[in-house]
Amino acid sequence: MSNIKKEIKFFNVFQYDEEAAYLRKMHKKGWKFVKVSGLGSYTFEECEPEDVIYQLDYNQEGMKEKDEYVQMFEDCGWEYLNDYFGYSYFRKEADEMSEGEDGIFCDEESRMDLFKRVFRGRAIPLILLFALTCVNLATQIMSSREYVFGNIVIVLIVVVLIIYLFVFFQFAKKYYHFMKGREMK
Amino acid sequence: MNDHIRKVYVPMTETAFYILLCLRKPNHGYGIVQIVKELTDGEINLSPGTMYGSLSKMEKDGVIRFVTKEEKRKIYEITELGERVLNLELKRINRLYQNAKEMTL
Repeated sequence: MSNIKKEIKFFNVFQYDEEAAYLRKMHKKGWKFVKVSGLGSYTFEECEPEDVIYQLDYNQEGMKEKDEYVQMFEDCGWEYLNDYFGYSYFRKEADEMSEGEDGIFCDEESRMDLFKRVFRGRAIPLILLFALTCVNLATQIMSSREYVFGNIVIVLIVVVLIIYLFVFFQFAKKYYHFMKGREMK
Repeated sequence: MNDHIRKVYVPMTETAFYILLCLRKPNHGYGIVQIVKELTDGEINLSPGTMYGSLSKMEKDGVIRFVTKEEKRKIYEITELGERVLNLELKRINRLYQNAKEMTL
């Protein structure tokens, strides 16, 4: 039986390109991606080191008609692996890539569309959740002066806020990158 | 034809253009990928993520319609609105081409 290795790695919702690059790097080192589960726990299986391109898509409509969605990718030579929080994972050997092909998207419009889908599907729920937590906390603090866990909760909220700021920095960076790309056209 | 259709499809992306051009005959996404590859001598390789996203967006916009399913592949065809949009685009491209020819003589 081949060796199995697990690695914990965090990528925020907008770092799908970075995540794909990480999986490619692992495969080059002889660790083939098996699955990702829990909170960023990546499972790899030992293999021959190879250059394999990994790609992530986020498409809720595709999830609803999985067979047709996956068929399209398989027809184009992409192996479908699995899903994780709405993201679908695909891979294809670098040698098998067609001329000029550099991933599962071939124009800026559709890359922007992916970005928008991630924003609507993942970022907006997170913002709402965060807003609700804040409101909930504020009302609790106001309704009871001796709110014992108040301090702990505030620390937690600050931590979460910092994570959020980081994610939104990534978002802004990516958005800026898109807009710059557009102006140049 | 409403403002949204005008804004998105006049002019349109190369992907949308080839989709409309190919769907004058019913076909599925991968069929379109193959035709375009042949038409452009392998220069344009439409990718599956782009194709899947474009087809579902264009279906929602009413420029193409879903016809039937064949072995897990969705067959689409152009609608009357799609044909009008394609004709506008063809006119625009033709004008571009004519102007370019005149200016570079």
